[in-house]
Amino acid sequence: VVSARRRRFARNRLYLAGLSPAAFLLALFFVGPALWALASSFTNRALVGLDAANPRFVGFDNYARLFGDPDFLRVILNSVIFVIGSAIIGQFVLGLALALLLDYAQRRGFLATNLVYAAVLLAWVNPTIIAGFLWVAMFDFYNGSLNTGLHVVGLDPVNWLGQGPMLAVIIANIWRGTAFTMLIFLGALRTIPTDIYEAARVDGAGALRRFWDHTLPILRPIAALTLLSVTMATFGTFILIQTLTNGGPAFQTEVIALYAFHEAFQSHAVGYGSTIAVVMLALNLSFAIVFLRWSRARA
Amino acid sequence: MEEVHMDELIRQAISRRHFLQFAAASAVVVACSPSGTGTTASPPTGSTPAGGSGGAPSGGTVTGTINVSYPDEAGLKPKYVEQAAAAVKSQFSGADVKIDLQKIGDDDYYTKLLLRLDSNDVPDVFHVGGSLIGELADAGYIEPLDDYVSQWADWSQYPDAVRSGVTYKGSVWAIPYGLDMRWLYYRKDDLQKAGLTADWQPANVQGILDAATAVKNAKEPNVLPYALYAGPAGSSGTADHAFVPLLWAYGGELQDQSGKWIGDSPATKKVMAYYQKAYDGLSPKEILTSTKPWTAMREKLGNGQLALLFEGGWVYGGWATADKAGTEQHVGYNLHPTESGGPSFTIGGPGTCWYISAKSPNKPGAWEFIKAFNTADIVGKLNAEDPHPVARADAADVAEFKSSPYLVASTAALAKAKFVPPDPSYSKVIEAIQKSTARVAAGELGPDDAAKRYTDDLTQALGADKVTSL
Repeated sequence: VVSARRRRFARNRLYLAGLSPAAFLLALFFVGPALWALASSFTNRALVGLDAANPRFVGFDNYARLFGDPDFLRVILNSVIFVIGSAIIGQFVLGLALALLLDYAQRRGFLATNLVYAAVLLAWVNPTIIAGFLWVAMFDFYNGSLNTGLHVVGLDPVNWLGQGPMLAVIIANIWRGTAFTMLIFLGALRTIPTDIYEAARVDGAGALRRFWDHTLPILRPIAALTLLSVTMATFGTFILIQTLTNGGPAFQTEVIALYAFHEAFQSHAVGYGSTIAVVMLALNLSFAIVFLRWSRARA
Repeated sequence: MEEVHMDELIRQAISRRHFLQFAAASAVVVACSPSGTGTTASPPTGSTPAGGSGGAPSGGTVTGTINVSYPDEAGLKPKYVEQAAAAVKSQFSGADVKIDLQKIGDDDYYTKLLLRLDSNDVPDVFHVGGSLIGELADAGYIEPLDDYVSQWADWSQYPDAVRSGVTYKGSVWAIPYGLDMRWLYYRKDDLQKAGLTADWQPANVQGILDAATAVKNAKEPNVLPYALYAGPAGSSGTADHAFVPLLWAYGGELQDQSGKWIGDSPATKKVMAYYQKAYDGLSPKEILTSTKPWTAMREKLGNGQLALLFEGGWVYGGWATADKAGTEQHVGYNLHPTESGGPSFTIGGPGTCWYISAKSPNKPGAWEFIKAFNTADIVGKLNAEDPHPVARADAADVAEFKSSPYLVASTAALAKAKFVPPDPSYSKVIEAIQKSTARVAAGELGPDDAAKRYTDDLTQALGADKVTSL
């Protein structure tokens, strides 16, 4: 018994040693700043003004202010619409559809398959800020390609970012992020042995039936993980929106991460900005718990 | 035109009345600041004038590196900064000047600068707006300059109003080179096509909207009638070039006698109603979502694609540089009208200033640089290129400056300037202004509701005890 325990300890020691670099980095770059933000959220710390010289502990004042902030509900609602539109419907569903399509095309050796693959990937390898500027170049009222196109065919320009700001940022983010889910699903699809489909086909199952009965159950654990990571990444993103509308017009595209950024670095209210970030972290954690439970229950 | 004595003009322009205005506002700020709590109330002073490397004002020798940091997108300042650096180096053989030019916008520069000032890696001398003096001093980031200016003979060239514009809690904190003022610019050609005269002058505030409506009805292709900044995208222009002049035009004030910020008021409602009318087809909604919308609007007025715009006096310089004759022929400028047709006015301000960091290891060097930059010659020439009324009176006699009728008019207009109170809360007030104007401009709220939300936004940012409504 003793030797078994010792063996287990030895094995764990190796395991812990292997884990420690990652744990150290996580502590340094994630847990540390998160704790700092948590501590800041109970202060009136600012980048400038009297509160910068003498930050004070203010208890739950920032939280009371946030939950009484009429803009905050709007910001949460915007975030939910943005995440559902661009992460769940857009990147997740479209990514899966693209992966199925590409998988089908590749298995049959269709011509332009690799070209399509490369095109989707190109959007993804761009840094977000460049993707943002690309879409500014499309949507811009005065010099954008879309309005230039309309002008060429004799139509009046459209204020894309003013009339449908949320739709515009959702489209841009779908374009930018779809490749990630597509890549993962494509990888997962290739692990499915073809003989499963052969057997199903022999049994007389149609394409939809085969997808529902065989493909989807195999993809489910991967799908849960992908959905989680895409949702969390989208929830925390703001560079694309900042470049396109900067949250405007009048808070119509202000999402929670952008709100935290604006409060901390535009209003220079670091304490209040940290409070928003802490609430965002809590929401993200609850997503993670719900998703992981869901995927475990199904797995 | 007869010989104009610019010295005299400036001294008259910046009259005693405005000095009192400035002084009264400063007094309010002092009165409102927390008192009796030791270090919280008084600005931290990092230096002891009695010697050491801390802050011995000139007279001694200057050694070591002087780190100068400033933003400039337009590219007009670098040659003068380098000229000043060279002057310091030739005067003090042991001194070196390292220049950190940031080719980014003022807002971005300020955020970067604050993060630096919050750390220990500070520039010795930096260049940001004079309206930021209050919040920078309160944070303990900047050095009071009283001991330096008291030994600087040239300080006598700075009129009282200019001095009080850079005075906060009884100390001088920054040295300005050019003052801010604004004009209601109009395109003579666009207005004439709309049936108005080339020497158009609005009789009252409604006159601006009427002229814009006339331009709209003239249906000239590619001509926008009017641009009224709104929302966060308009940056400080939403306040200084739109909301604040309108508020004053309708007889409102930013603060009451006790220093509380005024939210909802009859004047605020009128301003919001004005916004609603302007954004009903006269002013482009793209202002709310464009990045730096003023870039496009300034460009459009310069080439005739925009008929009316209230903007900084310095903007004229960009147009004149691109096309001097065309600008003089087509661009007209007026003061801001009032609701009743009472005396028109402009908005003044201390402009962009040089500051010394409180944590600077080389304050004497920083001060030498500031002196070398703010000579009458550089101040006169720079303001002639980047048009502002000069901060020091004798700079107005520099040939390049006094030969420009535009600059003479801008300087004279300072006599009719109202000044935004030098209050450290003003940045937060600007944000509340941005939020509430965006709501009206985007059509989310009507004027009365937007005025009420302005009170809420101010309360959110400043606390209920600092806000009132009338």
